Amino acid sequence: MRPETDIPSEDAPAPSREPLPLRLWNHGVDGLAALGTLMIVVLMGMIFADVLARNLIGGSLPLISELGALTLVMIVFLQLGTTVRNDRLARTEFFLDAVGARRPRLAAFVTGFWHLSGVAVCAGIAWSTWGILMRDLSARNFIGIPGVATMPTWPFRSLILLGIAVATLQFVVQAAIAFRRAAGRPERRA
Amino acid sequence: MTGIEIGAFAIAALILLIVLGMPIGLGMIVVSFVGVSFIRNETVAMRMIGAVANDSLREYLYAVVPLFVLMGLLVTASGVGKDTFDVFERLLRRVRAGLGIATVFANAVFASITGISIASASVFSRIAVPEMVRHGYRRRFATGVVAGSSVLGMLIPPSLLMIVYAVLAEESVGRMFLAGIGPGLLLSVLFSITILLMAYLSPKSVFDREPDLIHQDPVSALALAGKGVPIVVLVTLVLGGLYGGFLNPTEAGAVGALGALAIALLRRSLTRGRFWSLLVETGQVTVSVLFLIMAATFFSRMLAMSGLPNALAETLLQSTIGPYGFLLIFLVLVIVMGFLIDSISIMLILLPIALPVAKAAGFDLIWFGVLTVVAVEIGLLTPPFGLSVYTIKSALGDRTLKVGEIFMGATPFVFAMIAALAIIIAFPPIAVWLARL
Amino acid sequence: QETINLTVASSHPLAIPWVGMIKTHFMAETDRILAEKGNYKIEWNEAFGGTLYKANATLSSVSEGVTDVGWVFSFLEVPKLPLSQVSSYAPFSTANPPVQLEVMWDLLQTNDAFRNEWEQHNIKVLGLTGTDGYDLYTKQPINSLADLNGMKLSAPGVLGSWLRGTGANAVDGALTTFYTDIQTGVSDGVLSLALGVFPAKIYEVAPYITRVRIGTAFSGAVAVNQDSWDGLPEEVQEAMVAAGQFYTESHGKDLLERHEAAFEKMVEAGASQNPPVTISEMSMEDRQAWVDGLPDLAGEWAADAETRGLPGKEFLKAYMEGLRARGETPARNWDQAQ
Ligand code: NA
Ligand code: NA
Repeated sequence: MRPETDIPSEDAPAPSREPLPLRLWNHGVDGLAALGTLMIVVLMGMIFADVLARNLIGGSLPLISELGALTLVMIVFLQLGTTVRNDRLARTEFFLDAVGARRPRLAAFVTGFWHLSGVAVCAGIAWSTWGILMRDLSARNFIGIPGVATMPTWPFRSLILLGIAVATLQFVVQAAIAFRRAAGRPERRA
Repeated sequence: MTGIEIGAFAIAALILLIVLGMPIGLGMIVVSFVGVSFIRNETVAMRMIGAVANDSLREYLYAVVPLFVLMGLLVTASGVGKDTFDVFERLLRRVRAGLGIATVFANAVFASITGISIASASVFSRIAVPEMVRHGYRRRFATGVVAGSSVLGMLIPPSLLMIVYAVLAEESVGRMFLAGIGPGLLLSVLFSITILLMAYLSPKSVFDREPDLIHQDPVSALALAGKGVPIVVLVTLVLGGLYGGFLNPTEAGAVGALGALAIALLRRSLTRGRFWSLLVETGQVTVSVLFLIMAATFFSRMLAMSGLPNALAETLLQSTIGPYGFLLIFLVLVIVMGFLIDSISIMLILLPIALPVAKAAGFDLIWFGVLTVVAVEIGLLTPPFGLSVYTIKSALGDRTLKVGEIFMGATPFVFAMIAALAIIIAFPPIAVWLARL
Repeated sequence: QETINLTVASSHPLAIPWVGMIKTHFMAETDRILAEKGNYKIEWNEAFGGTLYKANATLSSVSEGVTDVGWVFSFLEVPKLPLSQVSSYAPFSTANPPVQLEVMWDLLQTNDAFRNEWEQHNIKVLGLTGTDGYDLYTKQPINSLADLNGMKLSAPGVLGSWLRGTGANAVDGALTTFYTDIQTGVSDGVLSLALGVFPAKIYEVAPYITRVRIGTAFSGAVAVNQDSWDGLPEEVQEAMVAAGQFYTESHGKDLLERHEAAFEKMVEAGASQNPPVTISEMSMEDRQAWVDGLPDLAGEWAADAETRGLPGKEFLKAYMEGLRARGETPARNWDQAQ
């Protein structure tokens, strides 16, 4: 993982240099991530409510552990696009740094190739998740205990699918930028 | 090609891809997909990729990841780390190299509310390094101490690495947490001894000039205690809740994060915008960790399908090297991988292969886990990829400070950690006594 | 001789009796039968203990061919295997695993809806699994049913509904968390299985065992992926069907014996602790009061199944009649609504 500083700077990419469609896309990706961020707060609240219920009323709230688990998966995929855009996926850097120092365009080409592998991986997950969503719908899949409390899984699955689809496209954008750089075109930040 | 050969090829391919700078998670997914396609077929590989993405992270326990990360960030933002350091600085001001030792113990205490080492590294590089340099300590030593003691963050509970290990080894998280306390204290003591030895035997390695006596206005014991209150409250909340019977690990994370939020709000150190950016950062750290866990799950499932771990366990344990030969090979492998790869990735790559062998060897898996975590954390301090070192570098933002200088400064602490490994191997109760109580 | 490669997997470790018996009984028996003729030999690739998939994907992993053979844990597949849940909603009906498994196996052959519920997932069922009996394990002694009032008991999922009407509160958790949950006061005890409590050493923190004889439950099946199955030679198929039967029978008997043995072992292991493990029996009156005081769990369950277009009522009736026909006397006739 790359080193994180403790307090993130709001490093929004310089908007003036980007074409409008890319800017809109970036807003969309960040919006989705913001939804994921809100879900972290919701998750915290949910768990806290369960603690209170158990220590005050004496029993667990229904659904919490299953709901928390599913919410977590959703959080990861809702924020994957932004994570990809900010280049925060764990990787080693010494090879690309070493190559980049002498032949920056070759390094950009290799980077672009890795982004393409990201496209393939995320597209594969998206395709497979589509199948799972269809089965969720046809089998009316749910979490919880019938007769106590249940909740359908398809809304969660839809958001997971949305997140992974956005991440796929974000990898496409990243690949395009890297290959542009490899071709020696003027750089545009994503 | 047999499954075992496919598994071996996959491991080799993964190492190559990682070295070439492919994102580690993507690399694991790609080789796993290809591996499963060869072992079974593309349809199964396709279904597994979906199952892994949708099922493998669906564990209530993983909810601790964002919560502990958020707590760490909130604690940092609210200045609790600085106060902790201040308290130890006061207490140790008459000891030779006392600021170094204060950093170690402040880290040990801070470690009991943060679950990630990078949080410790980033907090104390900003607090302790300037303070030490101001008082005549060498910058190399100062940054080295911060790097070294940051590893306590993931050894002393709560700890993200212990959680990951507990999940992989199917051990109780609570017990793994307890198992980290003894070794954490041992390491704190070893670090302090290292600092004292350096200060007395080779003062030049510690001080640029004769250190100033720290002249400070006498602070009342009350004021000092006041500074210690927030951290004590948080530690009580998290560990007390965990072991006092109110909270499971996930809940301890949630309550701790809320407590840290309350402290930050009470101190008015948090604006709305800043809180949001902390949440965003929490999300990014969470995603990069959990995406990796997901990918590693796929990788370990592919390996299980290939039959390689079983075959490896048989050969390794039936051959002449024996259980302790295996342990030695494993720990060396962990440390070597630590040169290149981050902690969680190492555990996720190696443990699916090593755990069945460790089980077959009859090792206490809690003890084995503690050894794994200590060995993995050595990687935080070793070049070329040493996460704590890079964190300090970026947190200090000083262009004249070379990464190599920090790595050099951290070297004595690497040796202290290797000594700790040897001691824990020789005296397992240090790790397991509390956990098995 | 032809060698056939098959992967066998489970979400749970071999230490769990019925998972261990997949190896010692199902696989061994298949190998034994095949060795008699010597035409085929199976090379098993073992992936037990969750190395291939976790407990939340036992059904899909077999149906999608992630493994060829695997243990499907029906408890955790409530939406996909609704009828298989019947025994969990009809507690206090039988404490006799061999009989319960026989009834379920019979229903699998005779009840189209039930068979279809399994086979539509692209799998073939070879053997069945069940639990041993549920009882109470608590920090404080339970002298009467009234003592349950206000207690916090670890009883995850549907088990929580068995406490409805007793005044006890159900606390969520899992076998791996019960020990610390009780130790730390998250709960005052568990409603659980002797075969789970013994290896997890829960008796150390909850030494008062109250044998309520709530009964056993159907928990799943050893199943094979249909595509893998279709690719097997007939001789191998026959061997596996026979081995599956052998597995189910052995497992049923084993549950009965192991359940009793577990109590003896717990008393023995917990004799020197303070307080020592003590076993008491809930009185027949209290037990009957408990079951009579429950809401119509099975009726609610059947009605819910009917709304999904499943023959819930008919299936419940068939299950209860199957038990009675084999000499069991359910403490409450769930199929005969009061
Ligand atoms: Na910690
Ligand atoms: Na390193």
